[in-house]
Amino acid sequence: MDENVLITLLIAGDDKAFRYLISQYQALMLSIARAIVGDVFADEIVQESWVSVYKNIAGFEKRASLKTWLLTIVSNQAKARLRKESRMVSLDQLDGEIPGSYLDNTNFKGNGHWQHPVTSWSIESPEALLEEKQLQICINKTLNQLPPAQKAAFILRDIEQQSFEDICSILNVSASNVRVLVHRARLTLMQVIDRYQETGSC
Amino acid sequence: MLSCKQVASLASQYLDKDTSTPLNWQIRLHLLMCANCRRFVRHLKITRTLAKNIELTDNAIDTETIWKHLQEKIQQEKSKNENNHSPENKSQE
Repeated sequence: MDENVLITLLIAGDDKAFRYLISQYQALMLSIARAIVGDVFADEIVQESWVSVYKNIAGFEKRASLKTWLLTIVSNQAKARLRKESRMVSLDQLDGEIPGSYLDNTNFKGNGHWQHPVTSWSIESPEALLEEKQLQICINKTLNQLPPAQKAAFILRDIEQQSFEDICSILNVSASNVRVLVHRARLTLMQVIDRYQETGSC
Repeated sequence: MLSCKQVASLASQYLDKDTSTPLNWQIRLHLLMCANCRRFVRHLKITRTLAKNIELTDNAIDTETIWKHLQEKIQQEKSKNENNHSPENKSQE
């Protein structure tokens, strides 16, 4: 649906348009909330965000895109909850390298050279790889299993193509931490492709 | 001279054109001489391209339930406001 049409319908109070909005953005908003406050409060935060969206949509001005506006709302709700609970959840995931990841010390010799040659791929064309249905399933599965902050940073950066600056403020993490999160997520997905190239499955 | 481990750590930043000029040159110099890291960076780039085109399939979203909860919440707030005419000064985004 065209965004301008959608906004007009939403402002007019069209219930069907609002349901459509939920179906389009619920998953993304849930990823953001999970990254900031963790699993326990995420559902509640998103639910509260929808209430806020519903109440404020009439005053929505097209200064920002609808998506940016929604992301800001869920991010602010989650941050407010985080302050209330006064605990940091998401940054735990930044500690240390995950064993078995590409950057694991065991993959490198003492002098920092690769221990083993980097796995070669028989298919290197992105177009051809996109045709592989099983690979899509594997990637999706892995993406959903990533630690919440990694998942959200990756979705915002590589799928939604948001700027690093915006991601920092949405997720409440420093620029260097966003970079680390995105890099780790990419490396994990790269390993999925490694395995798929070798075995044809996840 | 950068090690392979350093190049592997910086690879995303390099692909996102987010490394300083001197660092960028150091990485390119390393890539010129190291087939393994060239392959690594190439694969990472393919991964990034692939990611852009992923169709996110999240666990089924129950739009109707979310909508129902939303309506209930709005109704609750309405009746609360009607019962006590206290002005609401919640800050909203």
